[in-house]
Amino acid sequence: MHRKSGLLALALLSPAIVLFLALTIYPLARVLALSLFATDYGFEGATYVGTENYSELFGHRFFRTAAWNTLVFAVLATVSEVGIGLMLALMVNGRLPGSRFVIPALLAPYVLSTMVVTAIWRAWFHYDFGYLNNLLRAVELPPVEWLFNPDIAMLSLVMVDAWQTSPLTFLIILAGLQSIPEEIYEAASVDGAGPRHVFFGITLPLIIPYLFLAALLRSVDAFKIFDKVYALTGGGPGLATETLSMYVYRLGFKFFDVGAASAAAIIMVVISGLLALVYAYKLVGDK
Amino acid sequence: MTFQRNVAALTVAATLTVSVAAAADLVIAGRDGGYAEALGMAVEAYQAENSGLEIDRLELPYDGLLEKVTISMRENAAAYDVIMLDDTWATEFMSQGWLADLDVLGGGIDEDFVSATVAVSRYPVGTGTLYAVPFVGNVEMFAYRSDLMDRPETWTDVVAAAKKVSEENEDVSGVVFRGMKANPIVTGFLPILWAHGGQVVGDDGEAALDSPEALEALNLYLELKEYAPKGVEMYNSSEVRDALMQGTTAMSIELWPSWAPSLDDPEKSRVPGKIEVVAAPGETVGSSPMLGSWLLAVPADAPHPERARDFIDFVTSAEFQKKLALEIGQPPTRASVYADPEVVAKYRWYPNQLAALEVAKPRPRIKQWNRVETILGDYLQLALIGDLSPEVALEEADAQIAKALSR
Amino acid sequence: MVRKRHDKIRIGLTYLVTAVFLVPIVWMITTSVRPPIDYVSTSISLIPSQITLEHYRELIEADLMGKAMNSLIVAVGTTTLALIAAFPAAYALVRLRFPAGLDIVFLMFVLLVKLTPPISLAIPLYQVLRSMGLLDTLAGLIIVYQVYALPFAIWMLLGFVRDVPVEYEEAALVDGASLFRRLRSIVLPVMMPGLIATSVFLAILSWNEFAYALLFIQSPENFTLPTFIATLITEDETFWGKLSAVGLLASLPILLMVGFVQKGLTRGFGGGIK
Repeated sequence: MHRKSGLLALALLSPAIVLFLALTIYPLARVLALSLFATDYGFEGATYVGTENYSELFGHRFFRTAAWNTLVFAVLATVSEVGIGLMLALMVNGRLPGSRFVIPALLAPYVLSTMVVTAIWRAWFHYDFGYLNNLLRAVELPPVEWLFNPDIAMLSLVMVDAWQTSPLTFLIILAGLQSIPEEIYEAASVDGAGPRHVFFGITLPLIIPYLFLAALLRSVDAFKIFDKVYALTGGGPGLATETLSMYVYRLGFKFFDVGAASAAAIIMVVISGLLALVYAYKLVGDK
Repeated sequence: MTFQRNVAALTVAATLTVSVAAAADLVIAGRDGGYAEALGMAVEAYQAENSGLEIDRLELPYDGLLEKVTISMRENAAAYDVIMLDDTWATEFMSQGWLADLDVLGGGIDEDFVSATVAVSRYPVGTGTLYAVPFVGNVEMFAYRSDLMDRPETWTDVVAAAKKVSEENEDVSGVVFRGMKANPIVTGFLPILWAHGGQVVGDDGEAALDSPEALEALNLYLELKEYAPKGVEMYNSSEVRDALMQGTTAMSIELWPSWAPSLDDPEKSRVPGKIEVVAAPGETVGSSPMLGSWLLAVPADAPHPERARDFIDFVTSAEFQKKLALEIGQPPTRASVYADPEVVAKYRWYPNQLAALEVAKPRPRIKQWNRVETILGDYLQLALIGDLSPEVALEEADAQIAKALSR
Repeated sequence: MVRKRHDKIRIGLTYLVTAVFLVPIVWMITTSVRPPIDYVSTSISLIPSQITLEHYRELIEADLMGKAMNSLIVAVGTTTLALIAAFPAAYALVRLRFPAGLDIVFLMFVLLVKLTPPISLAIPLYQVLRSMGLLDTLAGLIIVYQVYALPFAIWMLLGFVRDVPVEYEEAALVDGASLFRRLRSIVLPVMMPGLIATSVFLAILSWNEFAYALLFIQSPENFTLPTFIATLITEDETFWGKLSAVGLLASLPILLMVGFVQKGLTRGFGGGIK
């Protein structure tokens, strides 16, 4: 079966290789090259500027803020989503009448288009007539400036992201919980271990790999965040929710400062490459 | 193997449908809101005269429209036949050769159009080739409540009146404006800057924001925030309009005529007849109303240029402009429509508006204005929310603008 | 006994939290049939004061079906192309021996692509599409969506190919079956559930995609549903009914497939864990 057949392997891989060449390798090389030029389009009429685009980016308040915001968002989103996912998974794990309906219902937000999700939440965040502020007023609490207040806008964004993607972390962690053999719990209860002891002594250590996987997946995605910011806040108020993807988009497709946009894009690729290394290390380690 | 057959069938189906995606006879890219309503009426009326015509229309917010049409022009995507342009975008579009020469395409432009709006439709400005036809004769006005205060002559008067009104009335804020970043915040700030003798780009074409005049103007602008409603940083036109019509504010530093055609309509306004619409106040320099006209143009790569030209003539005709003014309050670009008794009877401020339009000051005619405006808008908002001091905001904005201008 | 009561509380709490999670979706459904006068109320009731279908009517007039058709074409095209390229690749990576660990290199590369922010490739992809004359076309969108779809499909199919017992194929090989026949009559049928799960995922992915559709499509007649929805989110925030209606219509097909998602999710992402 395992014949050594380089040609056959190549033939089978070729469609994928062709697509990757055209859609990722060539573009990446081109972005890398463009990042060394001052240009508003391609290489025609471009001036070579060396690493000037990079040094300018690092010196620019907007870029530094965007990078910082992206980090803050990624951390807040990942932590809250893994937390909510864990809570949901612990609740659902075990006897649950109607789980055939509960689990798909919990998954629903995850399959919605991000544009649908932002449309709903934009209406919910409306200061005067939004559903959230209506709820607050109904219990005699003051309304909140969900998207207007620079200190709150980022949290609102995290909230929307958590609502949409906690189902994913939930499902991963649930798979982890269900992989724990029932006998382990039985043995523990024979030993008279309390629920807290069971959780921290048995459950948590056994699902750590799943928590880690969930956190990795979410942090990678959170790092790319674009469409929610685009449609919910446009990066504002001020620069409160400006992220790296938004920044690249504005530089590249609004100002056509293609050189600087490419440099920013390369910085993003390098960061995601580092995340990919962690991921790969994790996968290889498990095998 | 049914799966494979299905895949094959789907692939064929997909390829077929991709290739036969129906093409329209005319594709129009325009703004949302009231402008969309105007274009919608135009399309309907035009289709009534030319039956069987398929017309596609894109409605987009300010930034979205600019991004979409710019990308399409740069890529020669030939996606649109008619595009709606803010007069500041026009400089770049005309100088890059992205628009069709309307003199060549036929039609020209008659004397009835207000000259300030025609000037920005030509490149080089005022005298050159005609690349567009003025569609919306917008000019930035100032609105105040005549039952609560007297007309302010200067911006200092505005601050004083805002303070007084907000202290005397619990439910009425002193002033509102659009604090949203990018175009809105800049538009509100420019008349204040100009009235103080400041400039974004000097007459020599260099960045000119780092000046004592600009700092004074910004300080005054920030002072206005004290008397503005909460959340004004994210206000856009609908919030400003609601505040005026609901009677919850005494002044708006900007009022675009197309926002508020129903100021006197008791069904829509809680303060009918009490809002006065005048030219902006002055300060060290006299009143400098800002020109904000919208133009219609035909891209050089338009698939149906003749049809597009014909459509533009149709919607900018005196007859149709009058209809748009009367039905949805879109400000005309033709002097004859401003003078029409039926129109004046409905909008008592139209004589003021025409006078302002005739002397209106256009924004800098530079092709980088789009980027300059975004930079300025970002920094103004950072100052407005208190993240940066006014000095630092202006200094950094000036440096960034200088860099943008050098490209 | 204590344990039983705890269990009851847990179950009750689960139902409650699930209900809270669903409130935004319920709100969307009811808002889609609400008259516009309801939006500016401060009521927290989810039940409309009266029911109207005007938002749906307006959407049909705005050529919603055309945009839905575009989304469908792109979803089917993207899924098909990704499977055609990913299946042989996944098969080769699992079953064939590669020299010098090239298979690991390839897999790592696939992983990197999967993690790369799509926006960072957008500028050069523009030029790629332009040189192929595919800017502003659905076919162009199908091609650039492979940036998302292909790594995902390869990664997910790897696990499913591994699950096909190698003995089946060996038996067929003894009978002299060619590679093509083995794939068609053994591997594909055994993998069918996995292929379906992968397809559903890919279809949802492209059905929902926004960033590339925003950048690469200019003509309104080629808009997909997410870009169409974005045009409804405008300065005048008064289109809630229309937004909800289009949101619901765009979500219905994928909500119906949510069961598949559950099966596929852990699979596609886990890769290494399972």
